[in-house]
This record gives sequence, structure tokens and C-alpha cells, in this order.
Amino acid sequence: MSALQTKRAPAEPGARRSAAPRSKSPADRRPRLVYVLLIALVVMFVLPLLWALSSSFKHRGDIFTYPPQPLPSPFTLENYTRLLETQPFWGWFATSTIVAVVSTAVSVFVCALAGFAFAKYRFRGKRLLFDVMFSSMAVPFAVIVVPLFVMLIKAGVTNVYFSLIVPWVAPAFGIFMMRQYAEQAVPDSVLEAARIDGASEFGLFTRVVLPLLRPALGALAVWSFLNSYNSFFWPLIVVSDPAQYTLPLGIQSLYAAEAHQVDLVLAGSVLAAIPSLIMFILLRKQLLDGLTAGAVKS
Amino acid sequence: MPSVARRRTLAPYAFISPFYLLYALFLITPIGIGGYLSLTDWAGLGTPLWVGLDNYTRLFGDASFLSAVVNTVLYVLFSVCVVVPAALLIAQGLNARGLRGRDFFRLTFFIPVVLSPIIIALVFTLFYDREYGLFNAALRGFFGWGGIDWLGEPSWAKVSVMLLVLWRWTGYLTIFFLAGLKNIPRELYEAAAIDGAGRVRSFRNVTLPMLKPVTAFVAVTVMVGTAQILEEPMLLTKGGPGEATLSVAMFIYREAFTRQQLGYAAAAGVVMFVIVFFIGRAANAAFGVGREK
Repeated sequence: MSALQTKRAPAEPGARRSAAPRSKSPADRRPRLVYVLLIALVVMFVLPLLWALSSSFKHRGDIFTYPPQPLPSPFTLENYTRLLETQPFWGWFATSTIVAVVSTAVSVFVCALAGFAFAKYRFRGKRLLFDVMFSSMAVPFAVIVVPLFVMLIKAGVTNVYFSLIVPWVAPAFGIFMMRQYAEQAVPDSVLEAARIDGASEFGLFTRVVLPLLRPALGALAVWSFLNSYNSFFWPLIVVSDPAQYTLPLGIQSLYAAEAHQVDLVLAGSVLAAIPSLIMFILLRKQLLDGLTAGAVKS
Repeated sequence: MPSVARRRTLAPYAFISPFYLLYALFLITPIGIGGYLSLTDWAGLGTPLWVGLDNYTRLFGDASFLSAVVNTVLYVLFSVCVVVPAALLIAQGLNARGLRGRDFFRLTFFIPVVLSPIIIALVFTLFYDREYGLFNAALRGFFGWGGIDWLGEPSWAKVSVMLLVLWRWTGYLTIFFLAGLKNIPRELYEAAAIDGAGRVRSFRNVTLPMLKPVTAFVAVTVMVGTAQILEEPMLLTKGGPGEATLSVAMFIYREAFTRQQLGYAAAAGVVMFVIVFFIGRAANAAFGVGREK
């Protein structure tokens, strides 16, 4: 109660002039309470990551102790060295990265192209085609997994890169996002001017539209990189050769092994998380704004 | 050389064609094949044996499938009734006027989405550990008792999966609500305040109606997403103990790839498709998602 009193003291007079007097005390108390709650949430969201980080520097026997020890003592790099020496970690890393980079590049291009067409052209069947595209978002992944796997086997596709990349390079969500952005970011007058200058329609797209779409391209790129880099279910189904594992599969194989190699798994998880976090931190604003732009467009 | 006008009519079709090509090959075709497989008995070798609707009748009498459906419905209800409101509340907090560090909070809450589910599941497995886990240690510290068998006892295992869902998806949904809240003009709140509306009433009369499109988007995303839940139960509990946390997607995976019952798995897929697709379409139509203009 005393904290409340001090806060109510003349510290911020007239902060909410328009509010009715009776609601004054909760209004003044609110910012502090909001901060307390938000900081508690930050702890909840960050704690698991810090715990993993800290545990990855513990000796195997110290990972499970009671009471739990927050910091590694003694500190050791053994989990990391052992992971890198005994497991093809860099191979997993390479597979994941190549798959993620290629799918991202292709899907950003395909989605931007289609999104632009939906945003800036009038053509017959547009409404229907858009609806067909949009409703594909409601097709559960688990439904096509089995038949798609059968198709790839029957078609004799053994290339892991093909199976991991090609079926997923045209996400409807990406097209939707691009259309939403292109509608407001690409003025018709600019397109007309470029046409008068003799640009072809495709030239228009590469030279005029793509640069205008840049923020949305960034958002879609992070989104699709993270999706691909972190994906677990589909690789689990199509990749059977341990030499071709992606990072999530490699880590899972360590954990699924008889001994639950938690020490190695933790080190691997920390290393695997670094690229995702870097990507996210570099392009955070674009990603968050781009993701929400489609949903909240007024 | 086609005329300029003609090129202009054809261009959009050319631009959307890569998508529809992939769509036909990797979405429509699998759905068709799935429909066919669901009417057969097939272990992956030889020719599928036509069995008509047998798989479907078997499914509805299969206790495993029914518990997978019940669990999945529970997960969906939890998402809609707990995760969505939690995200909305956090967004309300983040939207408080003059809040400092909004971007920092928003970013931090989003982090779970950025990480691979395998990493998250592993850390939570450590936390849920009965003897050495942080959760029980915290309970012991605060209440002097903490012997919950988080992953081993059927009801607690469900709770554990749900807590993971909450942790993993709340921050993601929050950013949508926050963006929606920022779009609401301040004047509306001021007008409500002049009319004598308190906090609760202005939330009900201004915030909720104005947030309808975002809420619709979030609700549809969450329903369709949670209906497909796989990673959380699979990595945390492998669907167990028994089948206490088994989801429909896991059921499909298990039938197809560990039991080689491809026809049966395909039938479960078709059932899931029908349910999810129509829920999605109905919700879309009801809320008008993606159809502005």
C-alpha cells in the first residue's frame, strides 16, 4: 500500500486529465504494474534459453543436480569439443543452411511475383484464383505428408535437397503477404511511367517493383529461412540417411539415442540457435512489421 | 511479338503460374492420392489393395484415434481459450501509453518462434524432470513440496504439453494484437471516456469491436495451427504416457511411418483435412479474413 501512496503523490500531475477522477488511482498504479508483469514475462521467455546456455557449459553429471545450479561450476567446453569431434555437426549445419538459403531465395521470388500480379493487375478469374490460393493455407500439413512421401518415392526422387526444398517453395502465406504490401507500396503511376518508357512486364517487376517491395521481401525472407531451418517433421520423414541429416534431425538423433546424450544435445542446440537468432535480430523490425501488415490492414 | 496490350493481359497469368504449378503438383495431387490411398490397404510395397470405406469404419472404432481426436480438441480449446486471451492481455500491456522498451519486450516475447522446436522441447524436458527439474525445484522452494510427475502422469503430461504451447505461441500472437491495437485511433477511447466509460467498458465497446479483424485472423491461425499440433507432444512425451498426449497429426505419422499402414494413415489424414479445412473456411467466411475490398 505504501508504494501505491508514494506513486500517487504529485509525481505526475495531470497525466490523465480526461479520465474520471474515480479511475485515477488504478491509472497511476498501472505503468508500474505493467512493467512488473512485462519483466516477469521476459524472465519466463528468456529463462529457458539462458538455462540451456548455462547447462551447455556444465559437466555431464552437473546437468541433473538437486538443487538445480544456475551457473556451471566448474565451467567446461568439453560438451562442445566432444560434439564437434564425435558428430558430423558441420555436415548437418551445411545441409540445413543450404536448404534454408535456397528455399528462401526461390520462395521470395515466386511469392513476390504472384503477390505483385494479384495486387496490380486485373485479369479474368482473379477472384477465384486468389480464393483457391488463400484456402490452401487451411490444408493441414499432416494430410499431404503421407501421399507426398509416396509420390516422391514412386517418382524415384532420392535427392534430399529436392525433397526438402521443392514442395515448399510457394507458400500461400507469402503470396498473401506480398499482395498486401504491394497494394500500398507500388503506385500505379510508377508502373505506367515505366511502361511508357518501354519496359516489359517482367522488366517492370525486376526493376521497378522488387526495389519497392524490399521491406516485405526482407520479412518474407526471414520468415521462410526460419521455417526451413527449423523444420523438423518433413525432414524426419524424407531423410533417412544420417549422413544427410539436417540440424534438427541430428540433434534429435543424439537425444533419441539410448543414453540421451543431453550434454551433446545442449551444445548442439546452442550452436544451432545462433544463426536463427542472428537472422532474427538483424531483420527483426521487418519481420514483425511485415508479418502483421497483412493481418491488420485497415 | 505480341502487342503491348496483349502482353499486359498475359503477364499476370505468367506471374502466378509458378505458384499454381507447384500447387497442382505438391498440394492437389497429394490430396487426390491421399483420397485414393485412404480407400486401400497398403504397406508401401506391391499394389494397394482396394478396401472401400473399411479404413474409415475402422478409424471411428479405433480407441487410439478417438483419444488423438479428443486430445487435439483439448489442445485447440486451450489455444483459443487461454493462449489467445493471454496474447491479447500482453498486447494491451505493451500498448500502454508511454511504455518504454516496447520493442525490446515485443522482440523477447517473439523469440520462442525463432527457435527450432527440438531445442525448445529439450530444454522443457529438463525443466519437467521429476527429480532434478526446475519446475519441481521451484515448487519445493515455494511450497515445500514438488513431486509432480510432469511427463509421466497422464493429466499432468497434457498440462505440460499445453504449457509448452503457451510458452511457444503466445508471443507470436501478441505481435498481431499489438499491431491491431496500435491501429485503433486514440480519439475513440477519448470519446468513450467522455461518455463516462470505464476501463472495462471501453475495452468491451471500443477495443474488442475494433480488433475484430485481427482477432479473426489470430483465431483462425490458432485453430488451424493447433489442430495440426505434432512437435510439442512428439518431442516432449512421444504421445505418452500411453496415449495421453497423442495428437491426430502424431497418429497419422505413427500409422504411416512406424506401422506402415499407409492406407489407414491416409484415411485419418482425409478426416483431419475435412475437419480442419471446413473449420478454416467457415471461420474465414464468418470473419471475412483476406477478403477486404
